[in-house]
Amino acid sequence: MFRILYIEDEKEIGQWVTRDLTERGYEVTWLESGEELEKYIVAADIVVLDVMLPGLDGFSIGKRIKKENKELPILMLSARTAVEDKIEGLNFADDYLTKPFHPDELVARLEVLLRRYQKNDDVLELQHLKIHTKEMRVINRQTNDEIQLTGKQFYLLQFFIRHLNQILTKEQLYEGVWGESYIEGDKTLMVHIRYLREKIEINPAKPMIIETIRGIGYRVKL
Amino acid sequence: MKFLRPFFFLRSLLAKYMLIILIAMSITQVAYFVIALFALEITKTGQDESLNEVNQESNVEERWHDEAKHIQNFTDETITQHFESWKQRYPKAAMFWISEDGTLRSKVNVQEQLPSTWTPSFTTKFIKERYGGNPFTVIAFVGEDETNGFIVLEIPRDVFNPPLRNIYEQYGSLVFLGVIVIVLFFICISFLFFRGIRKRLLKLQDAMEIRDVDGLPIEIHVKKKDEIGQLEQTFNHMVVELRESKHRERKEEQLRRQLIANLSHDLRTPLTKIRAQAYSISKENLSEEGKQAIQAMETSIVNIDGLIENLMSYTLLMASTYIFEPKEINVVRFAREQMTTWYPVFEKEGFDIDIELQAFDDNMWLIDPLWLGRVFDNIFQNVLRHANSGKYLGVKTESTAHYDAFIIKDYGKGMKNESNAKGAGIGLSIVDLMVKGMELEWDITSSESGTIIKIKKQKDLSK
Repeated sequence: MFRILYIEDEKEIGQWVTRDLTERGYEVTWLESGEELEKYIVAADIVVLDVMLPGLDGFSIGKRIKKENKELPILMLSARTAVEDKIEGLNFADDYLTKPFHPDELVARLEVLLRRYQKNDDVLELQHLKIHTKEMRVINRQTNDEIQLTGKQFYLLQFFIRHLNQILTKEQLYEGVWGESYIEGDKTLMVHIRYLREKIEINPAKPMIIETIRGIGYRVKL
Repeated sequence: MKFLRPFFFLRSLLAKYMLIILIAMSITQVAYFVIALFALEITKTGQDESLNEVNQESNVEERWHDEAKHIQNFTDETITQHFESWKQRYPKAAMFWISEDGTLRSKVNVQEQLPSTWTPSFTTKFIKERYGGNPFTVIAFVGEDETNGFIVLEIPRDVFNPPLRNIYEQYGSLVFLGVIVIVLFFICISFLFFRGIRKRLLKLQDAMEIRDVDGLPIEIHVKKKDEIGQLEQTFNHMVVELRESKHRERKEEQLRRQLIANLSHDLRTPLTKIRAQAYSISKENLSEEGKQAIQAMETSIVNIDGLIENLMSYTLLMASTYIFEPKEINVVRFAREQMTTWYPVFEKEGFDIDIELQAFDDNMWLIDPLWLGRVFDNIFQNVLRHANSGKYLGVKTESTAHYDAFIIKDYGKGMKNESNAKGAGIGLSIVDLMVKGMELEWDITSSESGTIIKIKKQKDLSK
């Protein structure tokens, strides 16, 4: 169970989000300002932060949290939609969601962040695969064999898992995994994706796990 | 400033210039004065002599006659002796003695060719030639009577010249040279003076053209307190004012942005509350009608959200306070990344999505990514809302000889049939403002079978 520290001064919205997230199985601590933050911060897995707060504003609180603990993901939840605000927020926060939001979207984003920070030692079940996300062990559920991946294949799959459900362009993948800027026409990525598919797909000619999104890139969808 | 004026005047260029002119004038005056004094002095000293000038000539004549009369013993020796004594007094003088019978007897200092025997006709010719001529010639009979012949004295006329004329003849070219030197000297001084001014003006011009990082001119270091210095000071003053006004403008802009941001925040908070309530209601056991009502509420909330966003952007764009930070980015890559967020949305709606983004000759466009992102967002938003019936979205690139373009295509019912598409107007107005703001072009072709939007960048044909 994940512990969410939620800071929101609007009572109605605070109650609603707290109730909804609790119903979905999260443990939510809701504060109306950042005053008693220190008490609860140690126990939190993720922070959901409003911007307009009495006293210290959300930006300052968020920066302070990040300064003390870099590994604590922060999602800004604000009715301030101006680009400047988003930019300022994303300077330190991991995500910025604007109000009015749909609770499903909030949860989806929280899950992405939790996965990215590997707070989540869930076992992912991707079609016929079982993936232990923390140590990145990939097991074929049909045969119960562990699939051995080479270095680059491992990082490639890890990158997909961290950006689950997101479409990734060739450039993003190459730069994320190889750490170098992508040169137009480079075939390295395609070759590695083919190898990876040969290992993890049931039928590499009809990939089900690593989807090709024509004209854009690839996606691993849960 | 005013009480400084008298001091200021002394430092002014005008004062300097006037000083130069005054010196020039006074030097000519002084020169005149000195020359005049000099001339006066010389004429004064020379006057005694030159006053005697006529006298001198007549004196010489008289004395010559007188002394000739008193010569005793008319031998060659005595005459030569007499001549020698005159030669000491007038070194340039030439003298000779013609005896009674017309023979040239003794001569001193004679340069010209003289006949040894003087006929009466030659004598007459000689006297005629010399009368009033040069050299000054005096002919005197020797002794009391006319039986001992005559002695002739020749003195060049310039011996009797006034002294000033001699000086002029001697130093004339020197004086002329002096005048030229003085004139040249003043031309030089004037040249240096104006060159100095010109140099400083050019430097000032250069300094005025230097821009700070914020695009404002930089203050100039004022060295001298003359007119140019004053100009520099005024310029600095202007820079300060400009900076202040820019600062004020920025502050106003910021206030305005702040106000609009706050307003949008204040509008969104109740909207979030409505959504919260709607969501809570949707969790209840609802009738089909109730579910539909909640669905309609949801749609309205999303629409209002979009409208608030658009209204805010439009207001800022119209007031030119929407932050614009263009940079060179790879637009094809950018468009592809934009599509990664929109793809799932269209996918969910069951659209047939056709994406074909080919590299342009030059993928680097100077644009603000946030703006271009917004342009794409607004267009896709419109496709989603108003062309949903076509269930098709095409995003392609097009390169012609004249332009590179992104093409966004749908098979909706076209713009004219958008009965409930009133919100599309402001969204497309924002697209228009932003596209033009980034110096791109766009056109829209809409028919009942679909809409095609092209965002074009004209190729620089000069390259």
